[in-house]
Amino acid sequence: MSAITTDARPAEAETVGRRPARKPTSWLLTVFVLICVGYFLLPLFWLVVASTKSNADLFSSFGLWFANFNLFENIKTVLTFQDGVYVRWALNSVFYAVVTSVGAAFLATAAGYAFAKYKFPGGTALFAIILGAIMVPLAALTVPTYLLFARAQLTDTYWAVILPSLVTPFGVFLMRVYAADAVDTSLLEAGRVDGVGELRIFFTIGLRLMLPGSITVLLFALVASWNNYFLPLIMLNSPEKFPLPVGLAQWASTATGGSGSQALFSTVITGSLLSVIPLVVAFLFLQRYWQSGLAAGGVKA
Amino acid sequence: MSTLVDSEPTTAVPTRQPRVSASKRRQYGAAYVLVLPFFVIFVAMIIVPLVYSGYLSLFKKRLIGGTSFAGFENYIRALQDPLFLTGVGRMAIFLVIQVPIMIALSLFFALALDSGMMRLAKFSRLAIFIPYAVPGVVATLMWGYLYGPDFGPFAQVTKALGFGPPPFFTPIGMLFSIMNIVSWAFIGYNMILIYAALRSIPTELYEAARVDGASEARIAWSIKIPAIRPALLLTVIFSVIGTFQLFTEPKLMFSLAPNVIGTAWSPNLYAYNISFVNQDANYAAALAFLLGIVIMIVSYVVQLTNQRRERRS
Amino acid sequence: MSATPFTRRKFLISTAAAASSAWFLAACSSNEGSAPAAAAPSASTVPQSEIDKALDTETTLTFWTWVPDITNEVKLFTTKYPKMKVNVVNVGQGAPHYQKLRTAIQSGQGAPDVAQVEFQFINSFTLGDGSLLDLTPYAPAALKDNYPDWVWSQVNTNGGLWGIPQDTGPMGLLYREDLLSAAGIEAPKTYDDFAAAAATYHSKNPKSYLVNVAPNQPGQIIAYLWQAGVRPFSFDGKQTVNVDLASDQAKTVVKFWGDLVTSGGASNDADFNDSWYQGLNNGKWATLPIAAWGPVFLAGAAAKTSGKWRAADLPQWDASKAVSSNWGGSTDAVLKLSKNQIAASQLALFINTDKQSALNFATKQYLFPAMKQILTDPAFVDQKSEFYGGQKVNEKFAQISATVSPDFAWLPFMDYVYTNFNETLGKAFADKTDAVAGLQAWQDASAKYAKDQGFTVA
Repeated sequence: MSAITTDARPAEAETVGRRPARKPTSWLLTVFVLICVGYFLLPLFWLVVASTKSNADLFSSFGLWFANFNLFENIKTVLTFQDGVYVRWALNSVFYAVVTSVGAAFLATAAGYAFAKYKFPGGTALFAIILGAIMVPLAALTVPTYLLFARAQLTDTYWAVILPSLVTPFGVFLMRVYAADAVDTSLLEAGRVDGVGELRIFFTIGLRLMLPGSITVLLFALVASWNNYFLPLIMLNSPEKFPLPVGLAQWASTATGGSGSQALFSTVITGSLLSVIPLVVAFLFLQRYWQSGLAAGGVKA
Repeated sequence: MSTLVDSEPTTAVPTRQPRVSASKRRQYGAAYVLVLPFFVIFVAMIIVPLVYSGYLSLFKKRLIGGTSFAGFENYIRALQDPLFLTGVGRMAIFLVIQVPIMIALSLFFALALDSGMMRLAKFSRLAIFIPYAVPGVVATLMWGYLYGPDFGPFAQVTKALGFGPPPFFTPIGMLFSIMNIVSWAFIGYNMILIYAALRSIPTELYEAARVDGASEARIAWSIKIPAIRPALLLTVIFSVIGTFQLFTEPKLMFSLAPNVIGTAWSPNLYAYNISFVNQDANYAAALAFLLGIVIMIVSYVVQLTNQRRERRS
Repeated sequence: MSATPFTRRKFLISTAAAASSAWFLAACSSNEGSAPAAAAPSASTVPQSEIDKALDTETTLTFWTWVPDITNEVKLFTTKYPKMKVNVVNVGQGAPHYQKLRTAIQSGQGAPDVAQVEFQFINSFTLGDGSLLDLTPYAPAALKDNYPDWVWSQVNTNGGLWGIPQDTGPMGLLYREDLLSAAGIEAPKTYDDFAAAAATYHSKNPKSYLVNVAPNQPGQIIAYLWQAGVRPFSFDGKQTVNVDLASDQAKTVVKFWGDLVTSGGASNDADFNDSWYQGLNNGKWATLPIAAWGPVFLAGAAAKTSGKWRAADLPQWDASKAVSSNWGGSTDAVLKLSKNQIAASQLALFINTDKQSALNFATKQYLFPAMKQILTDPAFVDQKSEFYGGQKVNEKFAQISATVSPDFAWLPFMDYVYTNFNETLGKAFADKTDAVAGLQAWQDASAKYAKDQGFTVA
């Protein structure tokens, strides 16, 4: 039930089965791309190998191959160091990511739908302002936002990290394009004729049609939130509110000198490996949603 | 079932009516309600800090003497500040070299995957995309290790061959080292954007060419690429914005090469250090504002160039 | 759904406007938040009865520190005073900790009661009205007698007691006995010997060096200056500073290290990073000039080289008299913003002066002690270290602690001076250019910063 115009190929289609079978396989191309894939996977391979080593082995063995197998001790250290704060960080990351991505996706979907399906006074101006905001370097806003939050006594709270991340101008843009494409106005009119309220139409008809697009926005907001370093670094003081990137960076920096230094390398490395796994898994399972959402946005841009 | 709620007749062409119909008013209302949540937070998190930033940038704070009004002093200082200017210049070089290479590679991989001439396409697609899912902190950690001049694998290989370690951490080398990390992380992301656009191209557009015997490469060049021009433009603009905002990678590379990175390797890093190390939020605000203006100008130029090219073709 | 769109629109707009303007007003209001809490009695001592009362009242204190496992010592405090509850928070190590502390103080919100403050940053918190509580009224009169003079002069500056010393970092030389004897060199006693040894050692071991000169460690370079009798900084507690980094004696010291780097006798690797740890593990350096917290740190970071290291004095400029200096070391200070000043001061005092607590710091967390009692306590001094071939390393550094030259003062903006080091003198070491020129650049930048910030530069 693709919502995209019928003369385009359904974006969820996979290569096999939809293509004319007569296309020859170019082994040259395949090999070349696979070599490039090696480049992309190399650091991750290092990460896996390094996670199996103890601190001592890390400094004295060849980086890209194994030494003594220490993975389970490393994992245990990661999960129990500093009273298990890593688990707390992981839960924080999940919390931030889920709340932010769902919130951002919902806000963007609602706004995008409104811009696409209603021609209301001020709509064009508002949309232009929102688009303009894509140009504003969000990272350059972080410091003033921090100062504002400090005045409002909201720093070092979960809101301090969630609120700024709920705004996704690009998400609104994407959803507007998607809504224009995926939501047939005649369906809405039919609802109106039946006397259904506008908001109800949105929730029951519009939202369902825009779901793949919403999930795309959700996914990108998810990644942005999971990987966010700068914003939580500035906003948060208490380690129990840190997400994983900030916590890991703090561990990494305890090795950098002065009294109280601890060389935490194997812990940081194994912790990093564990932090990458959830997103990889999420992507594996949610692959098919990216394309249909992005397809409309990309082509119509 | 249900009857019309309001007593006024709805019309098919409300814009011709001198008075707005109730149905339209209901729709406007709904539109505002739907846009409101986003917009309120948008104003609070983007507009207000922006204005506050502008306000702050007009003041000056000293350790002795406190805060005082300074007019455009901070801006003049920033425009003459060699650290800021070299940071911006460095980002411009970064932009001119890294973005085209990255987009070109993303395009190449997307086309390769779309061509259907590959085995293990799905695996490759996922593998190239995975780096995007890796937090910048972890990516810099991994590459920082790989770049190590004594014990990193590349150095070990070159040493075994009799050369010195590869110059990853010289001032010029650092530029490429960080370019590499950013490309590694974002080629997959851009590839997916382009790939999605490619998959939306109606097949009829190039079936004819295929029947005529055109090679896949020819089809890619003459048909597919022009068809996805808007998507390409999008990826370029995002890359422009992202490049000028570079922060995480230089900050984390600092411990590996503190004298090459310094305090101002990227303008964003500089603003952060000015704000938090020098305790000078006012000057940092001016820097941030200027940076924003630079980004807007460059993005605008990119869009203009694209429009001009489109008009010509 | 019955309101007309115009009313609704007006409503929506006015809500948005109200919300934004409230938000905006919060931004523009000039609430600097620096008003201190009710002033404690200024000069007169706080009576013991009040102290006892405070310790007997239910109180929760927030304590920002990055010392690992400090809950061991804090627990001794809360066990003795059961009505006290302490939240220990690690907001980062070094620079991030200070950044957060300063922004919390500036915004008046979220600041702790007690904070770890290293010696060199104390002055930066006493600027203006000062953010630290003068602990003189809360401390026992004889507190001074617990510490070597030089330690006391680090915390008792410009007429106030700003922190309770926790640990110190007297400078010594750790060296690889095996590598030096293989090269036929003895542990150098003077700087002349040191330079000669560097050249000899490197010629025999092309892949290894006698020593490293880190381009990112201003603390270490300042310790070298301190040892040589240089006093580059001064602050009168109000508005006047003196910045004299480029005196002749300072130039001599800097030239020494710069020449070692340019001649190849010393390497110039950034330290305390991955590469550096690997170097330590793999014998890249035969000596490590480092503070008293170094021995335990090294034992943890370079376990592979256990048994091969020894501790000695730093090389000397004047062979007739052993002199040392200090790198690092912290105090616990109380913030004026604290709503529990008496209780907070007692926390700081207790964990750092109670004998068991202080001994724990020294023997369990391996912080090098500041107090004379611990420096002479057999439990500390007699510890033999297998990593150092059975040597009593603590005893050695305790001896060194007595030779640290006193009266070294700090500027109230060491954050800036430290980061600027990386761009000037540190860069000269990194690029192997003229170190004295780098020193001058460092001096000029620091003096300029002082002037720009409104200080009177003497």
